[in-house]
Amino acid sequence: MVFQILAFLLLIYGGYLSIHIGTSIPTFACPYNQECPGTCYLISVQHQAHNTWASLFGFRGKAFLISLLSFVLLFIVINKAWCGYVCPLGTIQDWITKLRNRMGISFSRYDDLSFKRLKAIKYVLLVLLLFIPLGMSNSIFGLPLFSHDLGAPFCQICPGRVITPLFIGDTSQLFIDFTNTTTMIMSSLGIIVLAMFLIGSFFKKRFFCFFCPMSALHYLFSRFSMLRLIKNGDNCTKCGNCYRVCDVGIKAIAEDIEHSYMVKDDCMMCFKCIEACPENDCLKVSFLTMPVFKSTEEGFFSRNLHLNSEMQKPSKTIIEDE
Amino acid sequence: MDYFTGIDIGSTAIKIAIIDEDRKLVAWKVAPTGSKFNENARDAYNALIQEHNIRLPEVQHIVSTGYGRRLYKSADDTVSEITANAIGASTVSHEHSIRTIINIGGQDSKIIKINAQGFVQNFIMNDKCAAGTGRFLEMASRNLEVDIDQMGEQHKRSLNRSLTVNSTCAVFAETEIISLLADGNKKEDIIAGIHTSIARRIARLAGRTTIQDDVLFDGGTAHNSGLIEALEEEFMRDFIVPELPQITTAVGAAYMAMDLFLKKNLHQTVS
Amino acid sequence: MNKNENKRYERLSAKSKGQLIIESENVLQEMQQKFENTIPGMEYFYDVAKQYAGGQLKNPERKKYIATNCIQVPIELIYAANALPIRICSGAYSMSQAGAGLLPAKSCSLVNATLGTIYTNSFPLAQKPLTIITPTTCDQKKKLSEIPSGIDIPFYTLEMPPSKDSEEAQEYWYRSVKKLKGELERITGNRITRSKLKKAIIKVAQAQRAFRHFHQLRKEEAVIRGTDAILIANTFFYDNIDTWTSHLVSLNAELEMRKSRDHNGSESRYPRILLTGSPSIFPNLKLPIMIEKMGGSIVADEFCSSNRLLYDTVAVDEWNMYDMVPALSDRYLKACTCPCFTPNNDRERKILAYIKDFKVDGVVYQSFSGCQLYELESLRISAVLEKENVPMLYVETDYSPDDKGQLATRTEAFIESIKNNL
Repeated sequence: MVFQILAFLLLIYGGYLSIHIGTSIPTFACPYNQECPGTCYLISVQHQAHNTWASLFGFRGKAFLISLLSFVLLFIVINKAWCGYVCPLGTIQDWITKLRNRMGISFSRYDDLSFKRLKAIKYVLLVLLLFIPLGMSNSIFGLPLFSHDLGAPFCQICPGRVITPLFIGDTSQLFIDFTNTTTMIMSSLGIIVLAMFLIGSFFKKRFFCFFCPMSALHYLFSRFSMLRLIKNGDNCTKCGNCYRVCDVGIKAIAEDIEHSYMVKDDCMMCFKCIEACPENDCLKVSFLTMPVFKSTEEGFFSRNLHLNSEMQKPSKTIIEDE
Repeated sequence: MDYFTGIDIGSTAIKIAIIDEDRKLVAWKVAPTGSKFNENARDAYNALIQEHNIRLPEVQHIVSTGYGRRLYKSADDTVSEITANAIGASTVSHEHSIRTIINIGGQDSKIIKINAQGFVQNFIMNDKCAAGTGRFLEMASRNLEVDIDQMGEQHKRSLNRSLTVNSTCAVFAETEIISLLADGNKKEDIIAGIHTSIARRIARLAGRTTIQDDVLFDGGTAHNSGLIEALEEEFMRDFIVPELPQITTAVGAAYMAMDLFLKKNLHQTVS
Repeated sequence: MNKNENKRYERLSAKSKGQLIIESENVLQEMQQKFENTIPGMEYFYDVAKQYAGGQLKNPERKKYIATNCIQVPIELIYAANALPIRICSGAYSMSQAGAGLLPAKSCSLVNATLGTIYTNSFPLAQKPLTIITPTTCDQKKKLSEIPSGIDIPFYTLEMPPSKDSEEAQEYWYRSVKKLKGELERITGNRITRSKLKKAIIKVAQAQRAFRHFHQLRKEEAVIRGTDAILIANTFFYDNIDTWTSHLVSLNAELEMRKSRDHNGSESRYPRILLTGSPSIFPNLKLPIMIEKMGGSIVADEFCSSNRLLYDTVAVDEWNMYDMVPALSDRYLKACTCPCFTPNNDRERKILAYIKDFKVDGVVYQSFSGCQLYELESLRISAVLEKENVPMLYVETDYSPDDKGQLATRTEAFIESIKNNL
């Protein structure tokens, strides 16, 4: 929680302290926010894809590979915990969730079928995000070149572009660009997605994460990461506690007793599942091979139900009675 | 000479076996159980040792087994008839390696699986019901007025014209037998039918487990050649029947008596 | 009822209640006297069991109570409605005799006894329950409310799905529990509020925590006899939950001390037995007592009347009604290993896990005659255990004492065979 706020402050206001982290951050650090200390890799990758085939296989290709490598390197250390702990968009959604909870309004979940269907969207977005910039410099499948006004197309619709500058009081992204049809369509799409982001994440925990192309990109490299969420199926009673608290609603965490690597494409490694698991050593986070955080019976009762251990000590009166 | 005794107090008969220190069976006896377990067992035992000129102090250890094992006061140890039967079975026959025992007694029928060492691996017993036990045979012999020892002979005479006795309940079977008689059926065919009915019941009991060869069939009913034939037919394999099928369990208990005695003595000399 | 019938009814009721007291006292005596080395902390649980049999459970606040017919009833809801849940599934032979006359001949003892309890009005409290909640777990329990017997207490049928893994089944159960909440509010006249339900969940969780601690203590070594452990869980419904919990907490402390002092409730060199199947409910502790008398040590059980009763937990993400009720439903469905669900692979997994965790040497599987679900599942469990090379004794029995001789032979032979193969 504290970490999340610190990460939020860093990624939104870091620029004031002249911090610069690089251009391959595997999370939403949006340069449209002028005080952002680094660049979201999605924007870099879109710019780099905006090149002709020839140059992509030449000198520029090297730049592409270098930035991909630094993305992967950053990512490999903390895996998708970027999503759970660092991403400012994720943090904003968590705040919205908190607000809803305060208001006593119920959240909603996808049913199994919708979950399966909708989860594909982020991959579609990821492909488009690479394909459109490529199509601005190259003719793909004989199509005419796409308009340069598409710019970094995903950024045009990304809610981060509009929201993060708001936190430094910059409302300049909150408009519809009437320069031409393309900009008009893209910027109105951006506003629509923003509205969906706000409304969606009010009713559904981590609504946007489910469609996030960054999350899809992550998942391609997730298996190689040092930080891992591991399950020991033998200790699992399938009680479903982990699924119940899962913000993105991953059922496999509760039902899969065969596989041990539990980071799914929607997982944000928030580790709430470990907190909610009442079985000793059933779920754990490990860094390299060292366990960092494990599920325990005691931990379950103290964390989830705030039972302190005093209540489990025999009270004097009873002992005296006997 | 040291002797060791095993007493098997079953629901119908008391079986006594005495072995000497060379593990040789020196004396055995079968007596009806009656209503006074303890007295009848004591009397039968005293008569047996007198017959064989064994003095009471020469008997070093007595192990009782069977349904009435706890009621026999002079036993040094008790053991369940299943364990005793397993041990008895593996000592009775040397040339075979017994892995399954089918025991049909007066009120119980059991299927016992044993390992190469003669220890029980698993066993199945009938529920509280007389179907598929010696009682069922007794009842039939009474109704048919055929001596129970003659039932095997009668079965042979049937020449595969066995009738079916469908009732598994001993009480209902009685009615069925009477009506079969009234229809003018031959006694031997009815008897063959009864044997098949019991065998089928045992096979169904065994359905819960896998039968492994060699199979030993013992208990008082193993004297009945007709029942053996029916069982072999139902299980589709040959059975080994010991010479004295009724006392296998008592012999097993006597072997245990000897082992327990030796173990205790060893313990004493060590300490 | 006419006058004569009424008289006969009174007589039956009085006779059954009298027999219940006698049989309960006999069992308790057997438990306390026949075994050496009893644990002082057990006294409380023996006392509560005795009060139960005498129909003298304490209810100082004179709360309304709701009878539950199975452990699948979410008791947190009943507590939140300011009422007491009291499980009336009975283990009494006397009650099964009283109920047998009303049901078909092949009904299981537990169902007979439960109906007998209701019919003869032998509830553990002086007053009658407001209602009897019966989940649709097994067929016989499900149909109890339809037996024409002149019982004037209303039944409430809590609908359970026949499966638990599918989304549809889970949804069905959520709605069923939600409906129960409304029904309880109507019956008791008390509204179930957010804070009341939260309190109830936490109250039960405290008992669960103590119970799980107890469960863990038994893993290491046989610190307590299995028969006592079953009785402890049995008494959960028979006293104020906080009192019960605090006594279990003290008992745990006592066991912890014994453990370090190496004082064993039953000696660990005895064959370690896992008991599963149709549930043993006080005073029907025939089989567990027999096993321990014959030298077995019941180190764990997989009974709904005992280990399953309090093990599964509730995890709430947002402490609002909309999340608490589904979370509560989950506790009673997802990890449940009742054979009324199909498929029920979880039971196999649980039994195998217990065998590993509790270092079990052999399994005793109890089926009540007529208890089809447990009878059916025994086939599968025995096949699985055979593959794992764990010996299993299958025992078909009922509440009557007349098969004690046979049981003695079976359990003794089973324990001897384990000892020989150890």
